[in-house]
Amino acid sequence: MTEATIERTQASERTQASTLPKPEVSSNGKAQVLIAMKEIWKTYDMGAEKVHALHGVSFEVQRGEYVAIIGPSGSGKSTLMNLIGCLDTPSQGEYWLNGKNVSEMDDDELARIRNQEVGFVFQTFNLLARATALHNVELPLIYGGIPGAKRHEMAMQALSEVDLVERMTHRPNELSGGQRQRVAIARALVNNPSILLADEPTGALDTATSYEIMNLFEKLHEEGNTIILVTHEHDIAARARRVISIRDGLIEKDEQIK
Amino acid sequence: MSPGSLSPTNTSAGLAPGQTVSPLRRLRSFRILRITAIWDAFFVALGSLRQNKLRTALTLIGIIVGVTAVIAVVTIIKGLDQTVAQTFSSQGSTVFTVSKRPQVITSREDFIKFNKRKAVTPDDADAIARLCNACWRTGVAVNSVQPAKRGDQKIEATQVRGMAPNHMFDIDGVAIDTGRVWTESEGAAGADVCVVGSDIVTNLFPGDPADRAVNQDIWVGGHRYLVVGVLQPLGKILGISRDNRVYIPFATYKKRFGIDFSGQAFSPSGVLVVFIQTQNAQQLENAEDQVRSIMRNRRGKIFNDDGDDGFALETQDVFLNLYSSATSNIYLVTIGVAAISLVVGGIVVMNIMLVSVTERTKEIGIRKAVGARRKDILTQFLIEAVMVTAIGGAFGVLTGFGTAWLIALAIGFPLLFSIWSAVLGVSVSSIVGVISGLWPAWRAARLDPIEALRAE
Repeated sequence: MTEATIERTQASERTQASTLPKPEVSSNGKAQVLIAMKEIWKTYDMGAEKVHALHGVSFEVQRGEYVAIIGPSGSGKSTLMNLIGCLDTPSQGEYWLNGKNVSEMDDDELARIRNQEVGFVFQTFNLLARATALHNVELPLIYGGIPGAKRHEMAMQALSEVDLVERMTHRPNELSGGQRQRVAIARALVNNPSILLADEPTGALDTATSYEIMNLFEKLHEEGNTIILVTHEHDIAARARRVISIRDGLIEKDEQIK
Repeated sequence: MSPGSLSPTNTSAGLAPGQTVSPLRRLRSFRILRITAIWDAFFVALGSLRQNKLRTALTLIGIIVGVTAVIAVVTIIKGLDQTVAQTFSSQGSTVFTVSKRPQVITSREDFIKFNKRKAVTPDDADAIARLCNACWRTGVAVNSVQPAKRGDQKIEATQVRGMAPNHMFDIDGVAIDTGRVWTESEGAAGADVCVVGSDIVTNLFPGDPADRAVNQDIWVGGHRYLVVGVLQPLGKILGISRDNRVYIPFATYKKRFGIDFSGQAFSPSGVLVVFIQTQNAQQLENAEDQVRSIMRNRRGKIFNDDGDDGFALETQDVFLNLYSSATSNIYLVTIGVAAISLVVGGIVVMNIMLVSVTERTKEIGIRKAVGARRKDILTQFLIEAVMVTAIGGAFGVLTGFGTAWLIALAIGFPLLFSIWSAVLGVSVSSIVGVISGLWPAWRAARLDPIEALRAE
């Protein structure tokens, strides 16, 4: 066991809790590379003309990084986020996530990757309105095939991570905005994903609550989670350790902070 | 293949080379996954149906109507089948009749034609009894409808049946409950005696047991008769009581009401029917042939004459054939009604499911984002559609049995609830659910997660 793995004891403990053993990335020695994007193009067919949302984007994200992707609307950052989150596949180029070539996968394989590797946090929370907080958090585990008792246990653990155990029987409309976003974060964490992918997570929240959520991300980062934050707000992006700026479908800047 | 040939490049660090449990473990986890997701889909479907109670109820109506129709009709007809079987077996398959007109006449023209025929007379009955060696017992009977009364108690209409000889009681399949039948000498002398059905006792001797009616006088059709016996109840058929009868000797009937041998179309006093019984069912056909030729001889008809015999020779099959053709028509109509309402119900379910998919696009997007695959979504909506129609089917079974029960109460026949019709009702409507849910569910399953998440 290497020193690096010992440092992330908490993270690896949660990895062991997952049912399927994950391979420790590729065999080429770059064990730390979690996301590898190589010359990614995304082209939309708008009738006669073709619109290029991404013009050959390439970057890598190491395990445990805290990255903000920033850019104005129409810059292609939503497209990039959909690709990173395996909701979509690139028109050209290769995308490797945790040692798997995602760019060639079909719908159901992508669904499995989303289930196992990606935890989504959305601007509008996207919780099931009729389900309790607990059921919302259990949802990825249901599709992951985790049996009932184990599922409950894991969901409770995720809810305690975001400090919402006492609200687990509440439905989203009985929770404040910040609480809803914390339920969404618990849902994103519950499957022990490789990446936590947050799309404007504070966009629907007031300043104080935004601050609270950003502190939660800070804590999760310190616990060893890999976080990718998509935003258009510079002060939110400034909380990350690395900022990738997107403009017109290309990476404009890629800088480490501090 | 040696264990060493399993290349370590594809094997993860956690698994030793050659370890073969992995596929099995994957299979097992896959099966658990299906069950978990299906179980969840059940609760989701239940929740969504509860959420839209009115819509669910309206969706159910088409299915309920279809299944109700089938269950009610099947139950009623099964009850009738039993009643009919019992009724006709009481006269048995050894009895046939000769009369100037058939017992079932379906047109006015036929009725007039048959009534113009020469009457069948007691002499014909005697000839049959004398000449037919395959025949066992013969008798004559004639019916008419008359009012009856005793003191203040009245019956508007009762069936008066004059018959001879006394073994006609056996041929008719009735038996004495209390008292006696009239003696041969009473019968021959045309004595004013009668044997009554249980309804007569109920209506003319209210509150009294049957034996209190014996040796009392009643008035039937303006004449007084002494009740000498009461018959065991026969019950109802198609809501018509078979116990509202007064039996009197044939000679008495002839004296009091007359028997019309004139050949007029409408005779108030009834038409003579000769009853012939054989020892066993095997001899029935032989006896029929003998009786037919005896009757033809008496009418001066030639053998193989294509013309009208001038009399009707019938077994109880006439009724059974009429009954089974009537019920098979009812079955056909019901199947038609049920098919139409199930198709309409299916279209309604499909429509509602399409609305449901559109309304829940966002939910589908969320589910897909967290890892639901196409078949998970497909299963969820299929389960929902099947659940609606299965509930509709179950309701239909209940209301169908209820309807049958009410009708059975009203017209009086045994109720036979059959499990298979309930199972059939629920499973057919579930199949309707699968068929009509398939397209909406497929549309839901194919939704693009990004588009679906963007929906409001």
